[in-house]
Amino acid sequence: MSSRMHHVIIGNGVAGDQAAATLRERDSDSRITIVTAGTLLFTNRYKLPQVFAGKTDWREYLVHPPSYYEERDITVRRRSVVIRVDPDRRVLVLQHHEEVGYDRLLVAAGGAAYLPEALRESAHLLDSFATFRSAMIARERLPDGGTLIMLGGDMIGLDMARTVLASGYRVVLVPNERTFWPHQVAAEELPDYLGALERSGIEVVRKGPVERLEEGAAGRPDRRLVFADGSDLEGDVVMAFCGLVPSLGFMHGAGVDIERGLLVNPELRTTNERIWAAGDVCQIWSEEEKGYRFYYGWKNVKMMGEVAARNMTGDHVQVDTFKDEKLVIDAEGRIDSPYWRYD
Amino acid sequence: MAVTDIQISICGSAGDGTIAAGDILKTTMARIGYRVIAFDLYPAEIRGFGKCISRTRITSDQVYSMKQQSDVLVSLDDGHTIPHVGEVRDYGAVIYDSFPITMLPEGGHISGHIKPGQIPYGLPIREISERATSSSRSRNIVALGFVAGAYGLPADAFRETIAAKFKTKAASVTEANIAAFDAGYEIGADTFRLDFVSFSEPPETKVEGADVVMMSGNAAVARGCLDAGIDTYFGYPITPATTIMERLASEMPKQGARLLQTEDEISAIAATIGAGYAGARAATATSGPGLALMAEMLGLGVMAEVPAVVIVSQRGGPSTGMPTKTEQSDLHLAVFGGAGDAQRIVLAPTNVEGCYRCAGKAFEMAERYQTPVVVLMDLYLSNRLETVNLPRVSPFAAGLSKDVEADTPAGTYQRFAITDDLVSPRALPGQADRMHTVTGLEHNESGRPSDQAAVHIEMSRKRHEKLKAALDHPDITICKRFGDEGPVDVGLLCWGSTFGESLEAMMKAQDEGIRCSAMKVVMLSPLPLDRILAFFEDCREVLVPELNYEGQFANLVTAATGRPVHRLNQVTGMPMRVEDILERIRALAAPPSRSAAE
Repeated sequence: MSSRMHHVIIGNGVAGDQAAATLRERDSDSRITIVTAGTLLFTNRYKLPQVFAGKTDWREYLVHPPSYYEERDITVRRRSVVIRVDPDRRVLVLQHHEEVGYDRLLVAAGGAAYLPEALRESAHLLDSFATFRSAMIARERLPDGGTLIMLGGDMIGLDMARTVLASGYRVVLVPNERTFWPHQVAAEELPDYLGALERSGIEVVRKGPVERLEEGAAGRPDRRLVFADGSDLEGDVVMAFCGLVPSLGFMHGAGVDIERGLLVNPELRTTNERIWAAGDVCQIWSEEEKGYRFYYGWKNVKMMGEVAARNMTGDHVQVDTFKDEKLVIDAEGRIDSPYWRYD
Repeated sequence: MAVTDIQISICGSAGDGTIAAGDILKTTMARIGYRVIAFDLYPAEIRGFGKCISRTRITSDQVYSMKQQSDVLVSLDDGHTIPHVGEVRDYGAVIYDSFPITMLPEGGHISGHIKPGQIPYGLPIREISERATSSSRSRNIVALGFVAGAYGLPADAFRETIAAKFKTKAASVTEANIAAFDAGYEIGADTFRLDFVSFSEPPETKVEGADVVMMSGNAAVARGCLDAGIDTYFGYPITPATTIMERLASEMPKQGARLLQTEDEISAIAATIGAGYAGARAATATSGPGLALMAEMLGLGVMAEVPAVVIVSQRGGPSTGMPTKTEQSDLHLAVFGGAGDAQRIVLAPTNVEGCYRCAGKAFEMAERYQTPVVVLMDLYLSNRLETVNLPRVSPFAAGLSKDVEADTPAGTYQRFAITDDLVSPRALPGQADRMHTVTGLEHNESGRPSDQAAVHIEMSRKRHEKLKAALDHPDITICKRFGDEGPVDVGLLCWGSTFGESLEAMMKAQDEGIRCSAMKVVMLSPLPLDRILAFFEDCREVLVPELNYEGQFANLVTAATGRPVHRLNQVTGMPMRVEDILERIRALAAPPSRSAAE
């Protein structure tokens, strides 16, 4: 292969995309490869709820046209699942039996939806909102005026709920301890926030713990949610929005420190000098808090992509995370999160 | 009504079943009712080496060439397919095995080469085949099933084609292939598609008095021979003409005709001319190297005025050249090859239906004008498959030989008599009171050798001038103009298989506002000079695109007309690209600066 410096980025989300752009700006000669399990180029997930408003051409969700990558000589290896990283040989092993070498590696694989224990057995009955495809499938399953049941209700889900409501569907929220994730709302403030959601049109059902999810009876909506108290709730589509867990199974055995996420210093370097991490996959050392912690939200993740890329190309800058993490109810009674806003 | 225009390429190694999968695809699509045009590329080796590509363009309307970019590419062998990934258009699909059996070095898997605008579809093709059939041999059929399922094509139609294809094999072979197809189909049907490839309903294809069938150029030639009442065929196998003989070998005995594989091409042409002399409708088929060997006997056919049909499918040359690559470099040989002024009729079909017509008409002309007739195809045309309208009743006339008048007194018959139309009454050997001499030496009207100047002058005139009537032979297009009428900026003067690409380029140029025409010349000898000259009169610039280095047709035309042309010559072994022709049209149409024609 080429003797050019090879920067490899695992992940095609906000962090990976920003890192690729920064790497190219700072190093016009290197090879840049983005490895992603997805089929599409970088899409704006924040716009994905618009699928429910009838925007079904995936090209409208692309952040960059295909020519962007060709013009910048950035290779995007789609449908490529990394199963292992071998830091000694500096190679990624892909599920399809191919090895890809790297000189500098950025892990920006993001997170997968967290599923509470009680729902894992009925995961196949849940719809997902992780990709354009899953959003389209959910939309097709949702009849006109149909009911979407949202378990948990993290900020990703609440974003979607607004568009789903505006598109003429019914949204029912079953809150749990992950509601408003990544924000942590004090128990005494929770009624205010849930009240704000109700005023916006989301129905909130407080029936305690969910016991199981099952298929609906013939002639009834497709899904039936059964609560511990024996009561139930019917809906056409059920989705769990309970936050994210880092996607880093492939990093086990790679010789870098992992707690819940990949542990990185404020320059986003892992314990391996050739491997960096950015986005939802990493826990960053906070001198202030004397511990590692996650930072979420578009602004933070984008910033991390840029910082990692700069440091991969010889810089020594540190992350400067967006600190305004407070969840607020604005003057019009809507829930707002400056932390979660995106450009 | 929505228009379907989809090109699907399948690429693999020889032995992967690439061509077989392509055959099933194109056969099925033609049976469903789409128009199909297809061209396969395969290596000279039989198995285990080299690259095979099957390309099929499926349309609702008639088209004339393969598309430059495919909409779907299926990889059965990444090593061979990777160089072709760029041939898939943006938002087209690339289908590949997502779980190859061996560990690959970086860059060894096709997923690393798919362009940002293309849509990757990885599926474990080998694994699916093994699960469905206990063997990996049906990977090609799994992939085909996936394509059919993903694009919502009718599974039953494919199953019927598969059953028909394997009907001579054990039932288990058919069952395994259908199981493999079904396994791929199921996954394809469940696939969430992101590409922008879709099939509309097939068009109504019924044609009065004809069957719409899909066939290759070689199959069409064979069908033309059969419908024209071929009596005898003598041949020696040579790529890309061999399948003509193979088809005739299975069909001719059914209509009481005979075929003999001779020891070489010289024997084949000698036997063909012998049979023609004896009154049979006789033919042979070969390629450039074979035609070179036949040149001497072809001269005898001209001199002795014997009807014979010689079908030539050109390949890359010279010598053994490139047997599995296409070229149009035997035009000089076909028109001029041999000793002396040995003019013969040369027909060059431009599409598969033309192959059928030219083959049948060649027998009529050979018989009517008492001469060898060469049908000049090329590998691209021989192997290309198209849906054609095949007449249910043969359109070819029998009994065109000019018989000797019954009241001709015994002992007065002259085999080479100078007549008004310069075609002499023809007696067959053994006919009572019609004894005559036939020789390769120059001869007088009775056929006896003579080297007198007056005899040679008159007989040369006879042999040349009698062929001019062929320019008005009934029911055959020897020359036709397409596109804009009247004065145009650019005229394309074309022959053979390159005409299809030229016609598409012309239409694209018209879409861009360029006044453009294309003329196909089917009869290369004698040349329809009047019509070509009229075409020159209308064209500010004339471009001759052809697949040879020398510009052989351009040479022929400029020598005959004295008019300058622009040349576009390629010897890539591949069909000419529409885009290349279009680029030259644009350059020639641009008023301020254009290269001067020669």
